[in-house]
Amino acid sequence: MPIDKTFNRRQLLKTTAAVGAAGAFVASTPSILRAAEPDKPSEIIVRAWGGPWVEALKNGVSDRFTAETGIRVIHDLTEDNEIQPKVWAAVAQGRTPPIHINWDTTTNATKSALRGVCEDLSDLSNIAGTTDLAKPVGVEGYPIVNTYGYVYVLAYRPSAFPDGPPKSYHDLLDPKFKGRLAFYNDGIGFHFPAQVAGGGSLDGIPDAMDPAWEFITKMKAQNPLLGEDPDFVTWFQNGEIDAACTISTNALGAKKNGVDIAWTVPDEGAKFDTDGLWIPKGHSEGDLYWSKAYINSALTKESQQIWLDGLGLPGVVPGLTPPPGMAGDPAYPTKPEDFERLIRISGQVQVENESEWFSKFKTIMQG
Amino acid sequence: MQRSPSSYPLMWRVMDALEAAFAAIWPKGGGKYTPYLMLTPAIVLVGTLVVGLLYIGDSSLRTLDKSTFQFSEFWTLENYVRAFSEPFIFTVVWRSLMGAVIVTIVTLMLAFPYAYVMVRTPNAFLRKFLLIALFLPFFIGQVVRAYGWLIILGNQGIVNDVLGLVGVEPLRLLFNYPAVLFGLVQYMLPFAVLMLAPALTAIPEEIEAAAGSLGASWVETMTHVVLPMAKPGLIGAGLVVLTLSLTDFAMPAILGGGTQDFIANAIYDQFFRTSDQGFGATLALLLIALGSMLVGVVFAVFGAGTLALDGSQK
Amino acid sequence: MNTHSIPAVSASNVEMQFPGLLAVKDANFELDNGRFLTILGPSGSGKTTLLRMIAGFLKPTRGEIFIKGKEVSAVAPNKRSVGMVFQKLALFPHMTAAQNVAFPLKMRRFDAKKIPARVSEFLNLVRLDGLEDRRMNELSGGQQQRVAIARALVFEPDLLLLDEPLAALDRKLREEMQLEFRRIQKELGVTTINVTHDQREALVVSDQIIVMDHGEIQQDASPTQMYRTPHNPFVANFIGVTNLFVGQLAAVSGEAVDVTIGALTLSGILRSSPETAVLGAQVRCAVRAEQIRISAALDALGELDAAFQGTVKDVIFEGERLLYELSIPELGDDPVRIFHHDQNDFATHDVGETVHIGWMNRDMHIFVAP
Repeated sequence: MPIDKTFNRRQLLKTTAAVGAAGAFVASTPSILRAAEPDKPSEIIVRAWGGPWVEALKNGVSDRFTAETGIRVIHDLTEDNEIQPKVWAAVAQGRTPPIHINWDTTTNATKSALRGVCEDLSDLSNIAGTTDLAKPVGVEGYPIVNTYGYVYVLAYRPSAFPDGPPKSYHDLLDPKFKGRLAFYNDGIGFHFPAQVAGGGSLDGIPDAMDPAWEFITKMKAQNPLLGEDPDFVTWFQNGEIDAACTISTNALGAKKNGVDIAWTVPDEGAKFDTDGLWIPKGHSEGDLYWSKAYINSALTKESQQIWLDGLGLPGVVPGLTPPPGMAGDPAYPTKPEDFERLIRISGQVQVENESEWFSKFKTIMQG
Repeated sequence: MQRSPSSYPLMWRVMDALEAAFAAIWPKGGGKYTPYLMLTPAIVLVGTLVVGLLYIGDSSLRTLDKSTFQFSEFWTLENYVRAFSEPFIFTVVWRSLMGAVIVTIVTLMLAFPYAYVMVRTPNAFLRKFLLIALFLPFFIGQVVRAYGWLIILGNQGIVNDVLGLVGVEPLRLLFNYPAVLFGLVQYMLPFAVLMLAPALTAIPEEIEAAAGSLGASWVETMTHVVLPMAKPGLIGAGLVVLTLSLTDFAMPAILGGGTQDFIANAIYDQFFRTSDQGFGATLALLLIALGSMLVGVVFAVFGAGTLALDGSQK
Repeated sequence: MNTHSIPAVSASNVEMQFPGLLAVKDANFELDNGRFLTILGPSGSGKTTLLRMIAGFLKPTRGEIFIKGKEVSAVAPNKRSVGMVFQKLALFPHMTAAQNVAFPLKMRRFDAKKIPARVSEFLNLVRLDGLEDRRMNELSGGQQQRVAIARALVFEPDLLLLDEPLAALDRKLREEMQLEFRRIQKELGVTTINVTHDQREALVVSDQIIVMDHGEIQQDASPTQMYRTPHNPFVANFIGVTNLFVGQLAAVSGEAVDVTIGALTLSGILRSSPETAVLGAQVRCAVRAEQIRISAALDALGELDAAFQGTVKDVIFEGERLLYELSIPELGDDPVRIFHHDQNDFATHDVGETVHIGWMNRDMHIFVAP
């Protein structure tokens, strides 16, 4: 089994110890966690996104973890893409990484996994209770555990679509939307629906993506705005745009701020992706043990329920209650038929081709 | 003759202390080399920069293997080939270069009259007002100012509100090339004025009066006397504005609406978005080369002496 | 109408009021064509303000200035035909000597083909031939002066203004340049107004001198008149070194008057207007230091109208002359200053020595105190 090659003996030993301990922890009876436990660190550092994101994590996972173990959780709000080079450098130089746990996009985390800087998490006891979504695609084992999924929906302002929600990305080519659309500045989330909208098939990813580029070229004629997560909320709020391809959480955020906004999954489908948690190599045995315990606790039903109520996203353990108003929402897939219109591409294909897609998208949009 | 040590200038005492310190460390004495020791901090600083550059140079010669996300063990020019062949990079470089040139020209055109009035006005109130108006935005960072423009120029911003009063539909004033250049000019103006003001102060008012009495109109005095005499200031201010604009990140990122990347934004993407530090390093070196070339061209055209660096000025 | 009757420059009731300072009050004067006028006064006397009004850099708050009979108060400097040499010269450092001199020709739209010849003609005039291509920082102080003169004259202005351009030069160079100004001015016959605080320069170069103090013209006269018949104690004191004694008017007979100074009665010439000459009025009596004779023996002084005995308090060697300061109690507490010029007479008097001095009545100027 190729997995054996990637793990050394030391890790296996640690893993064995962790499985037992983590299992005991999940039993939620701290009194019996004793002999096998390594020393507790006074605190662990979790990198997180700010605003409602870290708030949800704190309520759902961190506070509960602290209550159970007495270990303080520090949230480091460094941007995910800016912490990455620091973690990589620390691991390469044999230093202790600046964070214990990285809350990361699965794609970015996959890069770290491919680089070999992630600890293996296959031994977490609660993985047994998760859906397939928790398992990262395209890497061996569990260098990352996915903790929830999200959809790059087509968010729109209902007043700009009096005839009902847009059915297709082709609807956005109407001249009246010139300058009134927005996408991510690297095109993420739009590449795959564009492939379909341009008449291509998902099997053509990554080798035959001309249909996507042709459709994106047509979209470029609409002079869309290009931004990042916070931009979409601002732009909807300030009336700068009528429609955008963005993560549902941003649309939800704008809606919570009182903006009249709705979202849909168009005929072409919508990209589905996941975020996860992982631990960089280089921590002491004790720190690693308790970091794993943190991730394990994030996979309990109780933690998932509180955390994901805050984010409005579907989790990776069965039987969660959807947040208010999200049941049956296309951005909250739970049943297999919900996933039929969503596009999921393996992390490995994404990380290997992403920079090329980004640069193609930018070439078209900024040409 | 009795002189209390306190009557020495402070600087002498600092130098004495430094010399004593050197003598203690190096009892035989550096002799004539002692003064060069004073250069040590500067050399350490520049040396650190050079070491950093060497690291960047090394990175730029290694490509990213996307199956392991490790960099190649061997050196290759692949990143450079890519930088010179990707049309997107060409677009970004050309946009940055043109932007920097336009911003420099416009900024100097605006900064010159501003600095001139500030230096020459006999009205103390006006001078203070101009100084405050100049420094106030200095205390507000570039990013905050850019966000300010988002509020002012946005679809529901003040400008569009005013236009709405006269029946004009909201205009898209943001997220385009002119918006980025506008933001840059506004950002650079204080730098340019501050560099021009001493140059203009150094021109005696008597010289302008002389030009007038010799028959020059106000415009002729400006073009034949004040502008040529302010040349070192203009070149200095121009170089600062040119290099700062060329390497700017925040204005294109915030006011460009993601469609107006400059080189710095492309470098950021490579380092932090696609994790390709090798290609990012290549672009960084190209940016340094481009900036140095521009400075070189300015010196070649106007001469290094225009900055009064040749020491022959009295 | 006879053109000779139109003065090159004239000022009529000219006044310059700055906020909180009346810099020039009610100035009136006339200057004939081709003449050299020096406005002389201490700093703050308003002389430079008056000059800047003539140049056009300042607009008088009252009164009129005429150049060649034309009222110019509203005419900009570049529309006046006035060449000016500035105090700090105000040469263009980014131009060569030739370019500096060519500048006014270009600005005044001279025939471009004739400019080079004109420039070298004027550089020759100021003896700068061969230095055409030097920049200002490559020329000596005297050479820079010459460039400034050539630049101010090259377009043949109606009027040349000199704003103390020699003030910063060392004495030898200054005296050389004074003569140079005079030579060039005579050669070109250009009407010139010079401003200075150096009374010696004023006497050397001028056809006409105006002495100013506190914004007012004190006297307007030729150098010899100014020297011989000062109108008031200020002028008497400003031109040359003058001893002033306070006394009372004792007798008046035309210009010749008698005054009492303490217990003494002396005679002199009345310089104030006769109607102010009331008997018993307080007067100031001025005698120039160079018009007092000094000797150890009374006989050696020759014929004198007034003679005294005094004690030498100080002797100052000034090269071509000696300055004695004497204590003469009858004439007041201030030391009496005397120049001794006779280079053939090596006899000097030591401090503490008793000496005889004296002067002629015609050399004592009597001013009635206002």
